[in-house]
Amino acid sequence: MANVIVNRVKEFLKRYPPFNFLSNDSLELVAKEVEVRYFSENELLFEQGDPAQQYFFVLKEGSVHLTEKKDGVEEIVEVCDEGDVFGVLALLGKRPYLLNARVQEESLIYAIPVAIFEKILNENSRVGLYFAAGFASGQVVVRTDLSQSQKARTTFKEISRDSGLLIFTGQSDLNYSSDVLTCPKGTLISKAVASMADKGVGSIVIVNQKDHPIGIITDKDLRNRLIAKNKSYETPVEELMTAPVITKKKDAAFSELYITMIKNRLHHLIFTEDGTMDSPVTGILSDHDILLSQGNSPAVLINALMNTWEINEMAKIRDRAEKLLAYYLENEVSIDFVASIISEINDIIIKRAVEMAKKKYEPDFPEISKVKFCFLSLGSEGREEQLLRTDLDNAIVFEDVAGSKLEETKAYMLLIAQQVIEILLACGFQPCPADIMANNPKYCQPLSTWKNMFSDWIHSPNQQALMNATIFFDYRAIIGNKSLADELTEHIYNEITGKSIFLNFLAKNALLNPPPLGFFRNFIVEKSGEQKDKFDIKLRAMMPLADIGRLLVLSHRVVGINNTFRRFEKLADLEPNYRDLMLEAGKAYEILMRMRAIEGLNSGNSGRYIHPEKLGKLQRQLLKNAFAPIDELQKIIQVRFQLDYFRN
Amino acid sequence: MDWLSRVFGNKIPKAVFIEEYERLFEKPIPPMRPISQLTFVLIDTETTGLDHKKDFIISFGAIKLKSYVLKIDTALEIYLQTPLKRKEAIEVHEILDTGNGMAIKEFGKQFLKYIGKDIIVGHHIGFDLLMLEKALKPFGLKKLLNPVLDTQYLAMRLEKGPQFDLSLGKPGEYVLDSLCNRYGIELDDRHTAAGDAFLTGQLLMKLLKLAEKKGIKDFGNLIR
Repeated sequence: MANVIVNRVKEFLKRYPPFNFLSNDSLELVAKEVEVRYFSENELLFEQGDPAQQYFFVLKEGSVHLTEKKDGVEEIVEVCDEGDVFGVLALLGKRPYLLNARVQEESLIYAIPVAIFEKILNENSRVGLYFAAGFASGQVVVRTDLSQSQKARTTFKEISRDSGLLIFTGQSDLNYSSDVLTCPKGTLISKAVASMADKGVGSIVIVNQKDHPIGIITDKDLRNRLIAKNKSYETPVEELMTAPVITKKKDAAFSELYITMIKNRLHHLIFTEDGTMDSPVTGILSDHDILLSQGNSPAVLINALMNTWEINEMAKIRDRAEKLLAYYLENEVSIDFVASIISEINDIIIKRAVEMAKKKYEPDFPEISKVKFCFLSLGSEGREEQLLRTDLDNAIVFEDVAGSKLEETKAYMLLIAQQVIEILLACGFQPCPADIMANNPKYCQPLSTWKNMFSDWIHSPNQQALMNATIFFDYRAIIGNKSLADELTEHIYNEITGKSIFLNFLAKNALLNPPPLGFFRNFIVEKSGEQKDKFDIKLRAMMPLADIGRLLVLSHRVVGINNTFRRFEKLADLEPNYRDLMLEAGKAYEILMRMRAIEGLNSGNSGRYIHPEKLGKLQRQLLKNAFAPIDELQKIIQVRFQLDYFRN
Repeated sequence: MDWLSRVFGNKIPKAVFIEEYERLFEKPIPPMRPISQLTFVLIDTETTGLDHKKDFIISFGAIKLKSYVLKIDTALEIYLQTPLKRKEAIEVHEILDTGNGMAIKEFGKQFLKYIGKDIIVGHHIGFDLLMLEKALKPFGLKKLLNPVLDTQYLAMRLEKGPQFDLSLGKPGEYVLDSLCNRYGIELDDRHTAAGDAFLTGQLLMKLLKLAEKKGIKDFGNLIR
């Protein structure tokens, strides 16, 4: 809709290159996609080392400084004026930002999604040339480079290239300390240790009069050479230090630094002016700094999560976890490992959210807040299978309280739940469409009510109730008093014993979604059918397997295994007759999870619908194979639970 | 007394799209939802005059603000068929041909679908709400159910405190033009519905940042 607002944006852009090269129609296309953002003084649009955002920026009004942090000092590299375009090079080069964009005075920024601009780059060579000429301080983008990076972005393989997971990242994002703690020869170790403690560092460099490094003492040396050897604290440092030291120039290539440290088993590498031992110390690089530079390793993400109470920061970290996921999927890392890592990260976010909520509301409920509760994840997160931030399914169980206190207790628990859900939504999770969440009064209940609910499902099952109830059987305690969850589990298994009718219902439920076995045969002719060109991988392939896994594990009364593929592994042990089938089913589930996650990352959604014709031949074959165990398992269940004779 | 009105037949039957709209509000926005997670819909109407009883909406403009971002592709501008063409008003606004405008019912459908359960924001929004509610009344809408935020009120609250009485201030201090000048927003396309909605959106972004600095950080504190 060409309207006043789009026109205003268009009129503004038109005044500045490269937009003035665009035809009216192209410009309108761009203008429609613009996002207007407002930043107040001193805010950062992007930060040195951040991965490139999917936007570049035009300053509408205000003032933005592009700055570079060098040796802890922020220097202005460029001042942006109205109409200036910035943040492009990182985008085109698929690398982290080299500069900070700091808002000098409050500014309105037009953010332009790169996708729309790529289209125009392809059509309009003048715009391409403009970018190729390079408008930011001598950093020329070569044209061929440009077109390659465009192509690269369209293929999934390249998405996580800038994720910082490659071992040898650029040096720009390597942070080391240039403020090195030193002491002269002859210093007593007690004094050296005091200054280490004072500065909160794990090492001290011993230097001569010219400030050249002659040795180093680290925390480990104190343990091994001082305390363990029972030496006097009055020992001079030169008797304890490691010498000689290995030194490098600080602008050496990252790979060189990294390999030096690995080869020599160094935890600390000393930088000197000319890289030799015979020049003054300029910095020190620890293996911790190296770890941090590998931005997206799980350890770093988890560490970062544990160190923040900022919701925005948590959301950022969760976004980075998704990059990690993409990298893992591309590199065929085992799904078992991937699922554990992502679940751990999700769990930590939930735990932090619960703690934050408690902190916020405890003061208002001094008595009630002592009531024990447990936060449960249900469904796929409960099964530790949630790779993408699809629906939240969760619940709260709290200990039974006196009837007079129930109302207030529940109000408090709902408040906690609501706050937790808000934090999770802010971290990019999607709400459950069926409203199976802890902030729903139905699913925030005392233990006795939960027991009754499960008893109801088990004693008088009906098809409709069970369809929703299945996800409750996959609950997993995340934080709080886990004995509440354990007690509930015990109750459930006691109830199930001897209630074969319940398992029959559950079995029937597991067969509700027959897999499209003839799918690929039909696929060729089914161009205009109901499914059109989409395939619901969740409903038709994953749910049947998850349902069967749950059913069989419940029927064996196995406790504590929630994960579908681990359930099948366990079943392989329990049912040696069907060992191969069970293992195959577990593998199939892993393949389906992987395919769904890849599809989801590719198309920015839940990944539930796969376009079979877009899959490669190998993947199609994989998918086809993954259906085979479903069919066989369903036949077994049909017989075992006598479903042919079972009427409801 | 519902049965009474039904017996006497003066209850307007609800159109399906009104029912759908009302169902959206079964679950309210929780008060602790941070401002960055809220969706605001900036709206403005141009009308044939200032008498909400006699006058009608000529055009409607809107844009959405979410996570402090105004997304241009959410911009909406609709011209309406006016039941009564008042020559004078049309001459003032230079909107000549409303005959090609959208029928009220179609507008009502699109409008309600567009605003959903987002927070309605406008400058001196009370009048626009009255006009919109009047336009939708024939289809069974009693009241717009969305939370409402008036940028005029918000600006006063932030600058002078919540107890400020508009009549004590300088005349015109809180009209959209003065506020835009004060907050450095370029005036343009004034008195087109979409243009005003866009200006109000830019003003809201600035006010929300200001609010956050003053400790107003979530829905509960923002909408009181």
